[in-house]
Amino acid sequence: MDYDPMVMDEAESLGPVVKISQADNVRVKFELSNADISFANSLRRVMLAEIPIIAIDLVEIEENSSVLADEFIAHRLGLIPLNAEGAESLLYSRDCDCDNYCENCSVKLVLHAKCTGGENMSISARDLVPAGDRMNQTLGTPVIRDEDGLGPLILKLRPGQEIKLECIAKKGIAKEHAKWAPSAAIGFEYDPHNKLHHIDYWYESDPKTEWPPSEYVDWEEPPAEGEPFDYDAVPNRFYYNVETSGPLPPDGIVTEGIKVIQQKLAGLIHELTEGEGGGYDGPRSPEYGGGGGGGGGDGGYAGYSTSYGGNGGNQSSWGGAGGTTPYGQTPYGGGGSSWS
Amino acid sequence: MSSKVRQEGASSDVEMGEPTSHQPEAEDTSMMDQDDEENEEAEDEYEEEEEPQRVKLLPGSTATAASFQFLDEGHTLGNALRYVIMKNPDVEFCAYAIPHPSEAKMNVRIQTFEGTTAIEALEKGLKDLQDLCDVVTEKWVAESEAFKASA
Repeated sequence: MDYDPMVMDEAESLGPVVKISQADNVRVKFELSNADISFANSLRRVMLAEIPIIAIDLVEIEENSSVLADEFIAHRLGLIPLNAEGAESLLYSRDCDCDNYCENCSVKLVLHAKCTGGENMSISARDLVPAGDRMNQTLGTPVIRDEDGLGPLILKLRPGQEIKLECIAKKGIAKEHAKWAPSAAIGFEYDPHNKLHHIDYWYESDPKTEWPPSEYVDWEEPPAEGEPFDYDAVPNRFYYNVETSGPLPPDGIVTEGIKVIQQKLAGLIHELTEGEGGGYDGPRSPEYGGGGGGGGGDGGYAGYSTSYGGNGGNQSSWGGAGGTTPYGQTPYGGGGSSWS
Repeated sequence: MSSKVRQEGASSDVEMGEPTSHQPEAEDTSMMDQDDEENEEAEDEYEEEEEPQRVKLLPGSTATAASFQFLDEGHTLGNALRYVIMKNPDVEFCAYAIPHPSEAKMNVRIQTFEGTTAIEALEKGLKDLQDLCDVVTEKWVAESEAFKASA
């Protein structure tokens, strides 16, 4: 086998590069280059679905004489973006010591309105008032971005109708329910010139018109006339367009996204390394024997058991940041410094 | 520090908190003390067991060729981890799969060359991915500060 997966081209050995092209309080457009598509996609997925923010999760309706059903209003309330800055210090309600909810795991908002005038009345997010103790003075405040300062419309009341309710906003992630999505949309794109021939296998009539030039065509060299297809080419530059739905600023979504990946990894590393004798010291051989039997590979396993015992010494070096581990020779070497 | 990856359905008998019934009820006191200590330890272990174990070694795994099952993980971690583990020169093969879309499970297969183990490779992969995240964070922070300064 000639192919060595470890050979990195020069660009890759430089490590990832980030370049911001546009940023305001709604969106940030940036390019991530010299990274693998798997990592770029992880970042995209995590920003889309796994950043914890807060949203209304429980609604206690005391009075609702509007034309809308209780559950309909409750659903609408859930979708209202609430400011989530500082939500990292909020606990998940399921992890909290309290019986139901408390200020450590929730924010309470109240809505009380009655149409006393002669005309229909609009109730919008502005009328949702945070009540009780909060982690900080902005956490859970409805996000209001329109010029009138009203926020999303919740419902309308006819003269004489009344709405009175109490909402409990809790922390969650968009994987559970889309109301916890911090991003409205995430644009993700690579290979604007379609040099990788993404639609060779199927297109309607003309691949050129069906892969229209994107706004990033000027960022990359167009393919030369008659350029042969590069079979080794892999996507290398990724263009993101992160648009916030309000709870977090757009650059906050990116930093939080990376943080979520880090936390995932840290949790798994912790689980792999925690505790003594979990299955790798004394008791491991019976476990392994059992497993080998289950897999029908007893004979094969016996051969490994000796070399395995010999590795016992190496295991302690995991903790020691790996100065003398066999990994010393990796091109990305000691820690991650050469990525930078 | 040792690694803690338990095999599926293999170790519960080892970890259980109750003393086994064939142990003599009455012994001399020194022996009893020891028993008590063991019980305490075992109970602690038992409490740990309450936490769902998120990574386990699948049956049939050997030291250098192992399959791991991650609970509540998906393509987000799987693909990036696969890539990073494959970058390790001591790893011969690494792949991931989500066996069924309606089960929140993700399997990773790692085969290494002699001299290291699949578990070490997994652990190194996780740490390398963390380092990569660190670098991207660093680059992001630097770039966003530069952008703010220029705007």
